[in-house]
Amino acid sequence: METHEPISRDEASAALAAAESSRTLVAWASWPTWYWLATGAGLGAASAAILLPNGWELPAGVVLVALLFAVGRTASRVRGICEGCVSTAMTRRESLILYGPAALLAVGSAFAAKAVWWAPIVIAVLVFVLFAGTGLVLGARAARP
Amino acid sequence: MSTPPSTEQVTAPGQSTAPAQDGFDELIHAPVRLRVCAALEHAREIEFGALQSLLGISKSALSKHLSALTEAGYVEQRRAVRNSRQRVWLRLTGTGRAAYRGHVAALHRIVGNSPG
Repeated sequence: METHEPISRDEASAALAAAESSRTLVAWASWPTWYWLATGAGLGAASAAILLPNGWELPAGVVLVALLFAVGRTASRVRGICEGCVSTAMTRRESLILYGPAALLAVGSAFAAKAVWWAPIVIAVLVFVLFAGTGLVLGARAARP
Repeated sequence: MSTPPSTEQVTAPGQSTAPAQDGFDELIHAPVRLRVCAALEHAREIEFGALQSLLGISKSALSKHLSALTEAGYVEQRRAVRNSRQRVWLRLTGTGRAAYRGHVAALHRIVGNSPG
């Protein structure tokens, strides 16, 4: 059967690259700086929740999740992308790069706290720096023409 | 006026254009329209000004391409007033999403790899 190819392979490749570039922009560009800082701080605080007295971890976790959700919603509204909802166009790989190290550190925080009481504080700072830094760097890179 | 859709397209009165069987859609393939559809595919909706700034194109150029996509039934617009300013929110319709995905799949076939 004859196949109908309306464009060349190079043109199709360029079109796919343009579509991918749009996806990257939606995923990473135009997030306000405060979004990365506030979310990084929230995730850092979550990883330090182990230091709270018994019984306070769960309510603190619930409050943090609600705050992070509100921050995401407000940032989306400010960006003009997906008003009233938290939308992400990130690929699994990108999500892993952004959240993976922070998640690993947060899990490690519980174990580290058994060795040194102040370890969760150091880990909270690391989580903040890693998350906010990754978001800011990748956001700036995506916005670059 | 927009470029007419590609060969083998079926248009019923009052209906949106359906993409060709192979999925390649000339209406979507125009560079700006492809980028618009790609952006809208990954967000529930995008405000006109935000889309303009993301794509780095003029208001009139974006309006022209959006008219073509809206006319084809690929994009729908919602007007909302916030802080006494009217904003236009854009989203892909079901038809538009299917057409865009079909088009991307056709591009992948041309390039010779599988999508995703």
